[in-house]
Amino acid sequence: MSELRTKILIAEDDSGIAKFLKSTLTASGYNAIMCPDGKTALEMIASHCPDCILLDLGLPDMDGQQIIASVRKWSRTPIIVISARTTEEDKAGALDLGADDYLTKPFGTIELLARIRTAMRHTRTTSDNDGIALSGKYEVGDLTIDYKKHRAYLNGNDANLTPNEFKIIALLGKHSGQVVTYQTILKELWGPSASRDNKILRVHMAAIRRKIEPNPYEPIYIFTETGVGYRIAENEV
Amino acid sequence: MKHWNSKKIGKNTLLMAIVLAAAVFVCLQLSKLNDDNNPFAVSIFILAVAVIARFTEGYVFGIVSAAIGVICVNYMFTKPFFEFNFSITGYPLTFTMMILVSIIISTLTTQIKNQEKLKYEAEKEKMRSNLLRSVSHDLRTPLTSILGASSVMMENENMAPDERSDLIKEINKDAKWLIRITENILSVTRSSGNMTLKKDDELIEEIISTSIIKFRKNYGDFPINVKMPDDLMLISADATLIEQVLLNLFENAVIHGKTADKIDLIITREPGKVVFAVEDNGAGIPHDELKKVFDAYFTRGETSSGNGRRSMGIGLSVCQSIIRAHGGDIFAYNNSQGGAGIYFWLPMKEDADE
Repeated sequence: MSELRTKILIAEDDSGIAKFLKSTLTASGYNAIMCPDGKTALEMIASHCPDCILLDLGLPDMDGQQIIASVRKWSRTPIIVISARTTEEDKAGALDLGADDYLTKPFGTIELLARIRTAMRHTRTTSDNDGIALSGKYEVGDLTIDYKKHRAYLNGNDANLTPNEFKIIALLGKHSGQVVTYQTILKELWGPSASRDNKILRVHMAAIRRKIEPNPYEPIYIFTETGVGYRIAENEV
Repeated sequence: MKHWNSKKIGKNTLLMAIVLAAAVFVCLQLSKLNDDNNPFAVSIFILAVAVIARFTEGYVFGIVSAAIGVICVNYMFTKPFFEFNFSITGYPLTFTMMILVSIIISTLTTQIKNQEKLKYEAEKEKMRSNLLRSVSHDLRTPLTSILGASSVMMENENMAPDERSDLIKEINKDAKWLIRITENILSVTRSSGNMTLKKDDELIEEIISTSIIKFRKNYGDFPINVKMPDDLMLISADATLIEQVLLNLFENAVIHGKTADKIDLIITREPGKVVFAVEDNGAGIPHDELKKVFDAYFTRGETSSGNGRRSMGIGLSVCQSIIRAHGGDIFAYNNSQGGAGIYFWLPMKEDADE
């Protein structure tokens, strides 16, 4: 039976947290594989081919970034980075290396399970997002991003986004529920030679929020991940 | 002198050049008045050397200017004019005097600067130890409660389920409190220390929305009304830290406002700065405590109520060090509704919204 359950590999050296993760995941019907260090993790990832990897960046024997890089050479298995409050650069760096998402300690079980579901949904198909592939649309709340018409609608009314604003929101929609780094967005908009200046991006984002958020001070669609990037709300089915 | 950069050297050299040029100019004017051995030249150059030694860093510039001064006096202002003559009587005396003046003044200046630095370090150290003292107090309380509750549960396996769940809730609450304290400690190490703020151009509305979302995680729907100008406002700041400040202020309004049932956040622009005011309609802050609330060891209500919901001192002193590290300042007041208000300002470039 256990072979059929979704396998989640946990690379975490702190036994307290490992225990808590394992019991949470087992209770939710996942099969948890525990690894206390980076070397074991790499071996287990190769032999078990887990469906999702929870990776603590601060493993005793190896830098977490190294593990991400080496897994990404041959596998698209979703990686969720778990970190104690490291710097924003560390988080953004892990994401830019190919991690799918991150959780900052301390986190709750609800948040953890939601991130795992999101990460796995995104890699189940080769296209970026199931729903979008089928309908050509991403819908969350009253917001609809129409990928065929290149328009965004709020309650069915055109939100009048400019082409660049649409590009940003379209990219976020493709990675719904996941944080997209400033760097990724800048590259998407202005190509690989894009500058590292986030100012223009922030100005665009402010314009988008004014067009789609009912209250820009308590956004319900686009959230800021300070120092890292943006995340669009997930349409949990 | 190890960390000298070319900018500093340039600045000091420029200062030296200007002062020496001024001295030459004054002496030339005086020479016109009495076409003779200029009797003032030596004293004017000593004054120039003194000024240079005082306002430049280290000894080098003072000594160099003393040498130049001696050459100038010799070349331009002693007979024969515009010729070097090293055989004048008293020449070695003048030279030695100038060098000595420059060295003495440079030494004094350097000493004063070092003393200022030591004083500043001591101030910082005092702040840090105050914080540590209050932190250890604030950590002990929730830790005792967690330790106690979990030990009781371990020892009494047949505990009634609702009693058990009460204790578990208590542990959970205290753990959340510890998280809050930890966040604050981290913020302080980031904003004091070597002042390594990670500044970036940040949208004020993003900072606000992120702090409100964080606040909502623990305090649900407590209303926060935001009033701010509609134009885009970018400030150069470490967003994580400013979010921490706002979060602390929101939490204080709920915890210490007692009767407060809403929070107003008002953002206004003033020349060169942006002002944030967080007000509640609760009990307010007693007049004699308005200045003390930013002390790290200041604890409110602990004596009167025993429970006291712990100190707000850490939170506010952290806010103060964050805001000051950004070049702004923070104050407490009571608003017209009688509730407490905290306002802080941050420097903002005028062209930030172009």
